[in-house]
Amino acid sequence: MTINTLSQDGVQRQQMPCLTKMERMIISMQDPDMGIKLRNQRLLITVIPHAMTGIDIVEWLIKKFSISDEEALHIGQLFVKYGYIYPLKEPRNLILKADDSPYRFQTPYYWMSTRWPASELDYAIYLAKKNIRKQGELIEYEKECYNALHKRINHTWDFVVMQAREQLRASKQRRKADRIVLECQEQAYWLVTRPPPGTLDNIDYGPERRTMNTRVQLNAEFYKKEIEHNRISLARNRVKSSICLESYVKYCEQYQPHDPIMQGCLPSNPWITDDIMFWNMNSEAVAVPTKLRVECWSFSFMELLNDPMGRKEFLTYLEKEFSAENLCFWQACEDVRHGETSKIPEKVDEVYKQFLSPGASRWVNIDSKTMEKTLEGLKHPHRFVLDDAQMHIYFLMKKDSYPRYLKSELYKNLLARAIVPQETKKSVFPFMRRQRHSSPSPALATQTGEDDGKAKNSNSVKSNSGTASRL
Amino acid sequence: MGKDECKTMLDALNKVTACYRHLVIALGSTSDSQNLREELKKTRKKAQELAVANRTKLTTLLKDKSISKDDRAEYERLWVLFTSSMELLEVDMKRSLEIGQDFPLKVPTRHLIQTGMTGSTTTVAARAMSVQNMKYEADASIDTVDLKELETEIAQVDQMMEEMEMKVQVAPWAVEAKQEAGAELKSTVSVGNSSVGVISICEEEPKETVEGETGLMKVQ
Repeated sequence: MTINTLSQDGVQRQQMPCLTKMERMIISMQDPDMGIKLRNQRLLITVIPHAMTGIDIVEWLIKKFSISDEEALHIGQLFVKYGYIYPLKEPRNLILKADDSPYRFQTPYYWMSTRWPASELDYAIYLAKKNIRKQGELIEYEKECYNALHKRINHTWDFVVMQAREQLRASKQRRKADRIVLECQEQAYWLVTRPPPGTLDNIDYGPERRTMNTRVQLNAEFYKKEIEHNRISLARNRVKSSICLESYVKYCEQYQPHDPIMQGCLPSNPWITDDIMFWNMNSEAVAVPTKLRVECWSFSFMELLNDPMGRKEFLTYLEKEFSAENLCFWQACEDVRHGETSKIPEKVDEVYKQFLSPGASRWVNIDSKTMEKTLEGLKHPHRFVLDDAQMHIYFLMKKDSYPRYLKSELYKNLLARAIVPQETKKSVFPFMRRQRHSSPSPALATQTGEDDGKAKNSNSVKSNSGTASRL
Repeated sequence: MGKDECKTMLDALNKVTACYRHLVIALGSTSDSQNLREELKKTRKKAQELAVANRTKLTTLLKDKSISKDDRAEYERLWVLFTSSMELLEVDMKRSLEIGQDFPLKVPTRHLIQTGMTGSTTTVAARAMSVQNMKYEADASIDTVDLKELETEIAQVDQMMEEMEMKVQVAPWAVEAKQEAGAELKSTVSVGNSSVGVISICEEEPKETVEGETGLMKVQ
């Protein structure tokens, strides 16, 4: 028996929402009054109805949804890509042309579906049928697939042959026009589901889950669980896309000058010019930081804390305010959270002694409820036992000290002192091709003086090319 | 002899499976009609009868400890063919339920997909049922009423397959196909003893490919 993903899942897959939407649109296209006007396709002697031109589709989309040309073409392309509409003239070319190229609708059985992924058995039967019809003249990649399948599902190969023959006999019962349509439909389906090598796979079905419990009992217990699950899902917090998109746009606007790909990075992108000045200028221990870096600290508290230099500056400021123990406590908690499991009890103990115990030298101000809970938890220390206290102190710093730091003289002076690196001058011959070469392995600790002497940039500050000091 | 009987029954099941798939493909398209729904129902019932018959026969044969090793290997091969057939049937039944629900026949706002197929499927169904002509006797609400029956039948098939998995221990990797790659190109004696006779499969009009020049007639 072939391993069938459908029967193995206790719960069936869901249809992807975008596909459901496309299906709705396809169905509305069938409306006799408001749908697409169809024409007949003439093939020598046979006439097959229900064909439409590419431009028909695009125009219908424009009219129905009041969208632009471009968008209509894009949506039409999606229909063809996902196999809801297939081209009649060049079946292998799955694109929508906004001219009089003919197209036809695909039958629901062959619609793209994440619920019913095509099985190897089906594909094997199709290839066998094609083999019979074309007297062995399969396309190269189809021949390869055929042979691979023959090996893989060899145990059921007799069935493949039997079924292929029977399916052909069954379709012989239809009249000529329908037979042609059937062939086209099936071919279109397999072109979409098993694309030829070199073309993109249209859909990702996700990992195949093989659960141990193959089948569920459809009893009261099962339905109770389903109801509960759906009720919880309904109550889930949802943010309207209009709101989260607003904040997303704001975020992008704020960070765009900082993005090395969108804005470019000064002095130059090390990956392109092999000049690591950018990394050197932004390293931890640099004397004068870059302006962008210091500006970034004002975006959010986490930005400040994540930058080691920022953290140091902040600590200096807090020392002036006599609240440095907060930051030290926070750091110690981070250490506990991310450190070695074996060292947790001793670290937690240290933290208690230094920050939490009644007479501690660097006592942190935590509210009584959290303190009580933490002290209780300290009896059985684990990685996250200090989380509540850490969170409290974090918000304290964020709401109180952080805004004041940003307004402080310390920060403003640093910002004024911060430098904007000079962009390295482009080489004199702008069309000269920069030869790329791979860096020596980072495992090599030594600086291999691999100065290829290529004209990269005329900047005098040039480090050893090819050695990335920090990858 | 048990083997020949098995093969005939398997052939019959194979034929009905192929026809059923053919009918399900037409669901929801302009080939769909009340008759098609009835054909689906009849074919399905026939398939189930054959499935049960096959299963009973094969399980008895496989349970028999006194058969020779060769015989046993052959029965295991037939078993694998049987289960593959059931797989296809199961999927097609589930899909026909889904598509049948999505495309009820009597709702005026629900339109069938204009796929270019307009002919009827009665000859296919007749082939499945092994009759000369199909008789249609169902009433108008078959498209909804039948779906309920279909659901129960799917559950039955599911259960049957589960039982089959549990009760019969056949290792699929131990089964070797009799046909080698490309066997379908040879003359078409079917694997079992089919009463349908030898049919030549080669294409009647090999030159007429749809990929050639097609012209569209003007809108009527």
